[in-house]
Amino acid sequence: MKIKETINTFIAENTSFIFSVPAVLWQLLFLYVPLFLVLYTSFKRAADSNWLDLTFDHYRTVLGSSYFFIIGRSVCIAAGVAFLCLLCAYPVAYFLALKVNRRWKNVLLFLLTLPFWTNFLIQIYSWVFVLDQNGLINMMLLKLDIIKEPLHMINNTAAIFFVMLYYYLPFMIMPLYSILEKIQYELLEASMDLGATHWQTFKRITLTLSMAGIKTGVFLVFVPAFGEFAIPAIIGGGHHLFVGSLISHYFLIARDDQLGAAFTMISGLVLLICALFFNWFCTVPLQKTQKESA
Amino acid sequence: MRNRSIRFENITKRYHGDLVLDKLSLEIPSGTFFALLGPSGSGKTTLLRLIAGLEQADSGNIFLGHQNITHMPIYQRRVNTVFQNYALFPHMNVFENVAYSLSLKNVPQKTIQEKVTKILTIVGLEKHMYKSIQNLSGGQKQRVALARAVINEPDVLLLDEPLAALDLKMREKMLIELIDLQDNLQTTFVYVTHDQFEALTVADYMAIMNHDGEIEQVGTPKEIYEFPISTFVAAFVGTTNLFKGVLHMRSDHCRIEFVGLGMFEVVCSQEKEWLRDGNTIFMSLRPEKIDISKTPLTGFSNALEGIVQSIVYHGRSTQYNVRLKNNEIVQVFEQNEEHFPQETIDYDDPVFLYWQKENVVLLEK
Repeated sequence: MKIKETINTFIAENTSFIFSVPAVLWQLLFLYVPLFLVLYTSFKRAADSNWLDLTFDHYRTVLGSSYFFIIGRSVCIAAGVAFLCLLCAYPVAYFLALKVNRRWKNVLLFLLTLPFWTNFLIQIYSWVFVLDQNGLINMMLLKLDIIKEPLHMINNTAAIFFVMLYYYLPFMIMPLYSILEKIQYELLEASMDLGATHWQTFKRITLTLSMAGIKTGVFLVFVPAFGEFAIPAIIGGGHHLFVGSLISHYFLIARDDQLGAAFTMISGLVLLICALFFNWFCTVPLQKTQKESA
Repeated sequence: MRNRSIRFENITKRYHGDLVLDKLSLEIPSGTFFALLGPSGSGKTTLLRLIAGLEQADSGNIFLGHQNITHMPIYQRRVNTVFQNYALFPHMNVFENVAYSLSLKNVPQKTIQEKVTKILTIVGLEKHMYKSIQNLSGGQKQRVALARAVINEPDVLLLDEPLAALDLKMREKMLIELIDLQDNLQTTFVYVTHDQFEALTVADYMAIMNHDGEIEQVGTPKEIYEFPISTFVAAFVGTTNLFKGVLHMRSDHCRIEFVGLGMFEVVCSQEKEWLRDGNTIFMSLRPEKIDISKTPLTGFSNALEGIVQSIVYHGRSTQYNVRLKNNEIVQVFEQNEEHFPQETIDYDDPVFLYWQKENVVLLEK
């Protein structure tokens, strides 16, 4: 009897803890433990060496190799994709959140999520059929006699960039939309009433209030775009190496787990630095300029 | 002195095809506290938004002073608004909210600081200058909204049900402060409300709007209350008893006949074409203009008998609902002047109701 009571009070007092146990265990088992294994592998001299034989050699190799610039390129492309996504998504989200009436809003939001009903690989492959030498665009342009020779639109960085932009756009629109929708229209009216032009109102009220959405959206795009593996492989024809493709190369083709692990850790670190920098940029210098102009 | 009057000329406004305002004309005198009173959906807020520039009229003209502002962009109008839900910017503190309109122009930081401090002192918020908006009470938010709207010294201040979210005590306090503020600024205040108590309290002049977006009557609160020109105004502003009856005009006197109740003395000295013998008209009799008594009284021009149906105690007054012979109910307010009144009136008591013929209003419709 007493034991049962004790258990009951324990459950009642620690409900949130008990409910969080499965998620924490999941994270521990499938995120932190593997991460630690990667970290450990990156320091291990060789696959068959003694388990305490640790070294920095792999890091030196990676930092010294020409592959290191690939991390830089991935950062640039991911940042470019995130930035262009933001530019394209903001007007769409703004329009959806503040200008469209209720009924159309639901229809348009449904259309926005429609691509996710198709498998990711099919979405990406279908772009091959569009951009290919014998693809849809080239076929039409040739038929219309606009070009004589088929255009090279695939297997280059621009194509990768474009398809990434296509794929990640909804991930940017959604958080922007949800935050813009929360902005009371009255605030924009109040701003104009107090003498602000449309542009000033946008800059001082709408943009500032949607900062959290911008942050979420940029992270949602930047982080996966940095490690993107499938799009460069399919659209880039495997010739254009990205962090994601290089990691898979180390592990699956070169079979050099230690080097792959070191590379993974370094690129992870770069990602973390980028994220921290962006977070700092959003909170400190941006707000400062706003304060100054305010 | 600047002319800060507002004139609407034949303003028509539709929402999704529904006619909200139809050829409305109205003049709001310069430097007055003007209340727009009407039921929900009467278009009073639309009228306010037209002055602010938040809505565009479909036809007609709006003048601020001598200037036609019908098509002037909202941000150029020397008009500011206190919004119903305050619409304070959540990402700015009190100071930044109030300084917003100044910061848009190239006003030196020092001037902004001085002006904001001054206005916040006026509204009693100088101690909360750097507080975040979220940490303010409803009344404080109201004051910030007010300070933000008047800091630019607008010609016209628009107030859209500004006290709706406050409790009664706070509302009464704010009403007095608004009156003082208007006295100091000499700005034209246009106050939209559906609360007749607020309108009667603050307004120099008021306009009553009906359900069709028409202006029924414009006048001082006293004129509106004591001399309504329609049954709508009489019933909307304050409480009243409306009777429908036939007019009997003779050379020496004037009476009105109510079915089942008999004839009552009225005053027909007004020159109105509908004040004619045999016409069916309405009579408005305010509950506080009636004397109630269990014993017969003398000196009144009119009397009625009835049975007390229900009693509602309001504190300063008591409301008696008296059922007449024709089963109509008449409301009577009696001031509670004494702790121990000489006669107590109870449920089902037969009572006499008395009033003077000068204290009723005759209405055409």
